[in-house]
Amino acid sequence: MKALGILNFEPYSINVRGIEEYRPISAASFLGRFRVLDFMISNFTNSGIDNLKVFIKNRPRSTVEHVHSTNYNINAKRGKIHLLHGEKVYTNPIYNTDLAAFESNMSFIREVNADLVIVAPSHFVYIQDFNKVVEEHLKKENDITVLYHAVNDANQAYELCDTLQINEEGRVTAIATNSCKYKHRNISLESYVMSRKLFMTLVERGRKTSSIYWLRDILRDSIDDLKVGTYAHKGYVACMNSLKAYLKANLDLIKEENLNTLIKKDWTIYTMTNDSCPTLYEAGARAVSSIVGNGCDIAGDLENCVIGRGVKIGQGCKIKNTMILPGARIGDNVTIENAVIDRFANVTVDSVLIGEPSDPLYVARGDKI
Amino acid sequence: MVQKKMVAMILAGGRGSRLYDLTKKIAKPAVNFGGKYRIIDFALSNCANSNISTVGILVQYESVLLNSYVARDYLWGLNMAGGGVYVLPPREKDNEGFDIYEGTANAIAQNIDFLDQADADYVLVLSGDHIYKMDYEDMLREHVETGAAATIAVIQVPLKEASRFGIMNCDENDNIIEFEEKPKNPKSDLASMGIYIFDYKLMRKYLVADTKDKNSSHDFGKDVIPAYLKDKEKLHAYRFKGYWKDVGTIDSLWEANMDLLDHKDLLDLFDNEWKIYSEDPMTAPQIIGPNAKINEAYITTGCFIDGDVKHSVIFTGVRVNKDAKVRDTVLMNNVTVGEGAKLERCLVMNDVKIPANAHFGDKNGDKILLVTPEMAEGK
Repeated sequence: MKALGILNFEPYSINVRGIEEYRPISAASFLGRFRVLDFMISNFTNSGIDNLKVFIKNRPRSTVEHVHSTNYNINAKRGKIHLLHGEKVYTNPIYNTDLAAFESNMSFIREVNADLVIVAPSHFVYIQDFNKVVEEHLKKENDITVLYHAVNDANQAYELCDTLQINEEGRVTAIATNSCKYKHRNISLESYVMSRKLFMTLVERGRKTSSIYWLRDILRDSIDDLKVGTYAHKGYVACMNSLKAYLKANLDLIKEENLNTLIKKDWTIYTMTNDSCPTLYEAGARAVSSIVGNGCDIAGDLENCVIGRGVKIGQGCKIKNTMILPGARIGDNVTIENAVIDRFANVTVDSVLIGEPSDPLYVARGDKI
Repeated sequence: MVQKKMVAMILAGGRGSRLYDLTKKIAKPAVNFGGKYRIIDFALSNCANSNISTVGILVQYESVLLNSYVARDYLWGLNMAGGGVYVLPPREKDNEGFDIYEGTANAIAQNIDFLDQADADYVLVLSGDHIYKMDYEDMLREHVETGAAATIAVIQVPLKEASRFGIMNCDENDNIIEFEEKPKNPKSDLASMGIYIFDYKLMRKYLVADTKDKNSSHDFGKDVIPAYLKDKEKLHAYRFKGYWKDVGTIDSLWEANMDLLDHKDLLDLFDNEWKIYSEDPMTAPQIIGPNAKINEAYITTGCFIDGDVKHSVIFTGVRVNKDAKVRDTVLMNNVTVGEGAKLERCLVMNDVKIPANAHFGDKNGDKILLVTPEMAEGK
């Protein structure tokens, strides 16, 4: 069964303070080495799907450069990764919905030789073999199969994500919005398998219903007339819907047992090559419990940090529970806690930057402190 | 600028037998180096950074891995139209026998048809087993300016070590008047780096003549350069200043890795203007565990370090478990160091598993210990 992969752009319900001013969260750095969307694109290509439409909502520079420079391990002649955006609605944030973007690129979706469409989100990080979801979809003869994750921390995370009510046959009977009131919820992972024909019908129906409708809105409207089944995802899941969630996901994965559930030998995550040299730990450096990208020059102390490629950290620094994006410069004797330091920021000597875990401090791209 | 006139020929056929088990199954230029590189990345990156677009690689010994590695020309950006990386093993030819490469000059001579086809004006001859950064475009500029028939890159070495090298005796304009291979009493401290630029037309004549000469060993240093000198052709010495190392032995390979830590100023891997390109193995990121202690070390992607690492170079995918001590050591790809193990002044081969509490190497040893899989299994 041939499937077309669609990487959707981020929904209106997410707000990653600061980071999103420079690039969509999907193009933000992850674990010092990857971008958030590398996980989902690798899910597609590792599942044998080599025809991909990647939708970009806005601020395309980072996504375009990254996706075009990465070899996601598909045959460069037979396969294709197509970067698309909603031509007509691009400049208007309210009208710039995923359905509008799909509609304006429908000719590319119509011409693809594929029976199935798999839509996946770009602001989630998890690994999933889509073949297994497709198998379940066909076995149960569902119209749509939704991937979900049963969580016990819906009161602290997944804010404004879709929650699913599922009956004993595994069919979705209601979709609601997570208001973070309850711990136990079935969170929709916003990956959907359906026939290409139904996908095209839903886009059309959604666009007719409202100009500001999203795919999730028309799905919610359709659960009574369509057989919407489910597939339970087991494994690590992170939803990058806020700066706090973005930092937390990165720091959680420092623990090797967590990382091992996301990065596996038989499920390579592909990313762009930067040709940075290995990371140099200078005499006097003290690094523990951290993830570090290549090309860094570290002379200070790191504890529970995720450090991107090519970051320089001066002597006498004390950096804790912090994520530093690629190319940032941290001068000598700087203290940083609970912060996200964006790319190419320059934090000069003796600075003290302390945020709260619940409200991380953010230093903007290229800022000098 | 696209440099079309100078074609680089990298000699990569030697076994490097003094690297023992390291080159049992792979040619020396493909041996891993400096955390994430292979030795030949330096010559190839220098070519790319010097705007050379056509590179021939002369291969012979155990070349399967080397061939497939260098064939990925895009890794160094060497996939421009009209250029590329050409793997050149000995081959059977029409009306000629099938010969292996008999020497450095013979390897090039057997590929005269390739150089004719590439329409080379200048030929740059390089070794695939040297660690250095060099702008070959600058060397070509000097070669053209001096109007030499051939230019040889030289580096100043301490006079007392000069007898280990091929030594160039020059006049006041750096023109070479005499070449001495490993002289007992060196008259000069200018050592040949094995890097040559030749005017191709003249070189072609000398190579054809050398091939016919039954008494020749078909070597650039021993035969071709002396023949140029005998005919009073102008040979110029191009003085190179900077880091350069021939990594022919376990000790020198270890030393070159340590030089990355001790002589950062001489061979700067952080220089964005002259990057050394390599493959990206698409591993997990580098993880530093809660018990780690890391000082003076290069560590790359895919590593998990939870032990005590000092003055060492750690390659891709290495695991150092807690309470392990690694000192003055090179751990090559995918090595695992068990809990409580101790390594001092070692070079540990790819994929070796050091058992828990095992000890290898000697802090005061004058030789570097090459740790092989068999040695680790024996502990």
